[in-house]
Amino acid sequence: MSDAALLNVVLWLPVAGMLAIAALPKGADDAVRWLAFAVMVAQLLATAALYGRFDPAVAGLQFETRVPWIPDWGVHYQIGLDGYNVLLVMLTAFLGPLVVAGAFSAIRQDVKLFHAMVFLIQFAMLGTFVAQDLFVFYVFWETMLIPMFVIIGVWGGERRIYATLKFVLYTAFGSILMLAAVIYLVWALYQASGEVSFAFADLYRVALPVDVQALLLAAFALSFAIKVPMVPLHTWLPDAHVEAPTAGSVILAGVLLKMGTYGFMKLGFPLFPEATRLAIPLVMALSVVSIVYGACLALVQTDIKKIIAYSSISHLGYVMLGLASLDLLGIQGAVIQMVSHGLTAAGLFLMVGMIYERCHTRDLAAYGGLAKALPVYSVFFMILTLASVGLPTTSGFTGEFLVLAGAFRSSWLAFQAGGSGFNLAMASLAVAGVVLGALYMLWFAQRFLFGAAKVPHAPVPDLNLREKLVLAAIVAAVFALGLYPAPAMEKTELAAKEYQRLVAGAPAAKQARAEGSAR
Amino acid sequence: MSWQAVIVGMLPENLLLAGMVAIIVLEIAGGPRRAALPLAVLAVAAATLAALLLALAGAEGAPFPGQFSVTPPTLLAKAIVIGLALPVLLLSSDEFSGGEFHLLLLASLYGVCLLLSSDSFLTLFLGLEIMSLPVYALVLLAFRRPQSAEAALKYLVLSGAASATFLLGVSFLYGGTGSLGIEAFAVALEASEPMAVAAVALVVIAFFLKAAVVPFHTWAPDAYEGASIPVTAYMATVVKAGAVLALLRLFGTAPLSPRAIELLAILPLVSIVWGNLAAMRQPGFRRMIAYSSIAHAGYLFYAFLGAGAGRFQAVVFYVLAYGLTNLAAFASIPAAADDAARDRLDSLKGLFQREPYAALVLAMAMLSLAGIPPFPGFVAKFLVFKNVMAAGYTTYAVLGLVASYLGIYFYLRVVQYAFMSAPEAVPAPGTVGRAALAASVLCLAPVVLLTLFPGWVIALL
Repeated sequence: MSDAALLNVVLWLPVAGMLAIAALPKGADDAVRWLAFAVMVAQLLATAALYGRFDPAVAGLQFETRVPWIPDWGVHYQIGLDGYNVLLVMLTAFLGPLVVAGAFSAIRQDVKLFHAMVFLIQFAMLGTFVAQDLFVFYVFWETMLIPMFVIIGVWGGERRIYATLKFVLYTAFGSILMLAAVIYLVWALYQASGEVSFAFADLYRVALPVDVQALLLAAFALSFAIKVPMVPLHTWLPDAHVEAPTAGSVILAGVLLKMGTYGFMKLGFPLFPEATRLAIPLVMALSVVSIVYGACLALVQTDIKKIIAYSSISHLGYVMLGLASLDLLGIQGAVIQMVSHGLTAAGLFLMVGMIYERCHTRDLAAYGGLAKALPVYSVFFMILTLASVGLPTTSGFTGEFLVLAGAFRSSWLAFQAGGSGFNLAMASLAVAGVVLGALYMLWFAQRFLFGAAKVPHAPVPDLNLREKLVLAAIVAAVFALGLYPAPAMEKTELAAKEYQRLVAGAPAAKQARAEGSAR
Repeated sequence: MSWQAVIVGMLPENLLLAGMVAIIVLEIAGGPRRAALPLAVLAVAAATLAALLLALAGAEGAPFPGQFSVTPPTLLAKAIVIGLALPVLLLSSDEFSGGEFHLLLLASLYGVCLLLSSDSFLTLFLGLEIMSLPVYALVLLAFRRPQSAEAALKYLVLSGAASATFLLGVSFLYGGTGSLGIEAFAVALEASEPMAVAAVALVVIAFFLKAAVVPFHTWAPDAYEGASIPVTAYMATVVKAGAVLALLRLFGTAPLSPRAIELLAILPLVSIVWGNLAAMRQPGFRRMIAYSSIAHAGYLFYAFLGAGAGRFQAVVFYVLAYGLTNLAAFASIPAAADDAARDRLDSLKGLFQREPYAALVLAMAMLSLAGIPPFPGFVAKFLVFKNVMAAGYTTYAVLGLVASYLGIYFYLRVVQYAFMSAPEAVPAPGTVGRAALAASVLCLAPVVLLTLFPGWVIALL
């Protein structure tokens, strides 16, 4: 099988899994679970094979498929891997089996529907990452809403209806304006060049006046910033996370939030470079506000799920900071940070789910001294906490360090060149976020794991083999990315350079870009 | 006029006519009353197929020159509109056993066919009346309920007013141009004499009334609620499509004057906003669908803002996507002890536990109507707004899109009831009938096709 065909297999395997599950008889819950797990593992293996064969020395798309889908509008079913999405596709495929395995005992109602929805969201998320055509991207982007709506709404907590409607209505509002911008952008391309195309490569070439760019960027950014989420558009996230079942939280924190940052990196900023350059101080400021404000909110929560939810806001602030720095290190750090947060947040949410299944409460005050009662659980929890804080040798350190280094370097150079010190001030403030992050996570771990032993519904069993394996996989990935980030960074390097060139683009580089992508 | 042209060019109409005659004969001869449904299904299926084959064969001609002509696009539109009546017929089998329903439905369909092929205002008016008159009777057929009489009367009176408005407009046009040909309308669109302007406004308003566009919509919720489920489904899809396609025939590809733009942008925009807002508050399924259809009439007329060639494509694709998903939704409503209980949205609570298939189809239909990808409703909406923006009306396009956002909530509420709410402890809710199941499969198959390969259909139009 050719590699391009293999990428299609990776993308469509969840759909096949969905159909296979639908064909199983009612009540065969264990069969459904194992089938879902098997399909997810198959997908992971196929993705790993592609990841291994992804050549870091090749710029642009690899394993590309491009066939007409709606020929009249120039819409192509165009998918491929590049340095932007390869790590995120790997992350999505990696978390797939863990989501299914993590839900083995937690989901008892409508098991078939649950796994069908997990497959659907897996399909939509992968599709969003690999799509290279704006129409296809938008279709996948919006399709994600449906399974998440159902997952939170059916298997969620007490206020699940409120939370899921808030999530959908919030994100759909952003998407509607983005749709208007998409149509306008394609129409502008048609007016400028006479060709109708939704291909990213063609749309990068559209040269628009800066005021139009600003409006379109605002429309795209609204949609992406809601998804990230950036303060002040974050208010849906705590509700969605707290009410969602564990699997929903894992998908949400692990992959879904990265859609927003990926959107900024792949579309929002490179499509509208002039407007982006004007908006960079704003983006930096909002990123820092997200980092600090998210950390402050996490500090005062009493619900353990909310602490991790707010920490997500803070951690994704670093990603945005890295993207806004336009520094090579910062951009690569942003990508690593996306993956790292995907791993640690997914792991922490899984662990919260595990303790909730045993003790039936998420109130932090009800817990204490778990280190004695559940030693294995506590070890895993401590590792993930430290990774989340950014302890050296874990993935969190790699991401945060690179982002901060990049942000400092670019703002220091700008400051030296006579620019304002605003960006430099923002980069300095972001460091404060690191301290705050360590504060709330370690304080959380201290109250949770140490001190007088308090375990609701004691005695509770420690982790079983399934749970240990799930967490061991995540921890292994966290250390791999922390100790040996070079291969992952290599794969993103050319894309980071391209992003830098597209957004920061000197006039000469812009010329080359126009010629290079004309085909 | 040659007999061959009449027989071949009007084959879909002739097949419908043959179906009607057969049903009448069956009634007179006192045959088995259950035979009316298969007869009607056969006639409608044959007419759909005939129209489709003629369209694909590129049939063109004027059986009655100056009055009635066919081209491949009109035949395709005809095939779509007639085809939408098939699920309606299947839906009716649980409600109506006699031949009256089927006879009236075929007659109304015949009127729709005339509308789509008319070349003069005479044929157009004839088609409009033949389409509407049986529907008054159809609304009344659900005589079990007192609201039906009120609904039928309301519909009759307001439809009559629409006809009168239409005739007044046409007489102005005739006075101005001395012609009854529909080309006169396109000429009047660009003219600025008061007579022509008044004529255009009157004709457009007549169609707004028929298609239920704000502020001419007030009859729709009552009429839809008073009618039985299959009749409501018919009114919301085929009749609405007929009215919109007829007006589209008048507009053709003519460029719009600024005045016409205002008429065709502002009222439909208000329609989208008001329909979506009012639908949020409805406790009954049919009233909700009525307001939803008021909003969808807004999108359909919005498509008129697009440049000439794209209008037809956008409207026909929209009619197809909207009609199929709407009918699929109607087919998924489970039976209940009585009509009022069946109509309550609350009775949908916990539907997934009872009827997973129906609940999934219903959810798909609602999401498609809300315009959420990957369902065909999204592609249809995209097509409309793409054309509006390409014609240069960016502000209207953005406003329309934002207005369409208002609709997401009430569609999602139905999904929420079906999947996320515990069933109510009301008298044991019924199941979805076998015929309704067939109807939903009939809608579902093309919807899946449109979801996966929208390009095929768009290329055909």
